[in-house]
Amino acid sequence: MSQSELSNHPLHFAAAFGTGGLLSFMVLFNGTLAAYGSLFFASWVPHLTGSVAALLFLLFLRPKRAQVVRPPLWVYLGGVSGAVTVMLTSATLNSALALSGTIALGLAGQMVFSLFADMRGLFGLPQRMPVRRDFVALALIIAGSLILIFFGSST
Amino acid sequence: MIFFATLAILAGVLVSLSRQINGRLALSTSAMESSFWNHLVGLVFITCVALAVGGLFAGEPAQAPWWAYLGGPVGVVFIAAGSWLIARIGAAQTALMIIAGQMISGVVLDIVMGAPGNLWARALGVALILAGMWVAQGRKV
Repeated sequence: MSQSELSNHPLHFAAAFGTGGLLSFMVLFNGTLAAYGSLFFASWVPHLTGSVAALLFLLFLRPKRAQVVRPPLWVYLGGVSGAVTVMLTSATLNSALALSGTIALGLAGQMVFSLFADMRGLFGLPQRMPVRRDFVALALIIAGSLILIFFGSST
Repeated sequence: MIFFATLAILAGVLVSLSRQINGRLALSTSAMESSFWNHLVGLVFITCVALAVGGLFAGEPAQAPWWAYLGGPVGVVFIAAGSWLIARIGAAQTALMIIAGQMISGVVLDIVMGAPGNLWARALGVALILAGMWVAQGRKV
């Protein structure tokens, strides 16, 4: 795909920012489940209720399929990657890294791989070469995040 | 230590990988259908691992407050939004803005719930993140 398919519409940025806000609530809800039950349970329950909720959304909203042809089977495996993430972090949370180190290193891994994916246009997603402005934004946001993680006692 | 650090970095890579694969599925179907498959396939996978390892219902999960069970529906919207956004603003911008949103809402939640924290560190962190968002938004496509 070409670069022209990407946008910098302010609404998209606002939506992504709001999506990050949802993540804080997920951490709060699922983290509370983990405080009472096992870490498996804290991941199993949201996947179960999420499957039902998504099915209801599909039945009521009936979103249009973008393409008639069936995509390759591997595109259905995103959920496995997400589930393995939970298992990895449950291991590192109990190591010397604790919560702060787990989040900080996770941010690093996430950003480096995202930039790599954009440069290559991995998995048939639009290709996008980062420019200097992107690295300035990256440095500011990651610096702010690290200050919050290590000195602001924020998760 | 290096072993656990590698696992933590790998976890971050997998977050991004998952969003890319779901984003690719959304290109063929829809963001909500992508979110549905993400949850169903994840559910089957976790069930299999939990059955193999055991201890799924350990502890006292029934004692958890009712609102702790709301993570699933929120996650459905979260995955659908990520799948939709990644094809529109790219993987790095999606990840960066989601991180910014999580960090700033985390500070707000902490303050609302009365969690202790350093006021100056919080103010500086939030200011840097807002500045970064302003810089990112100014990019020409």
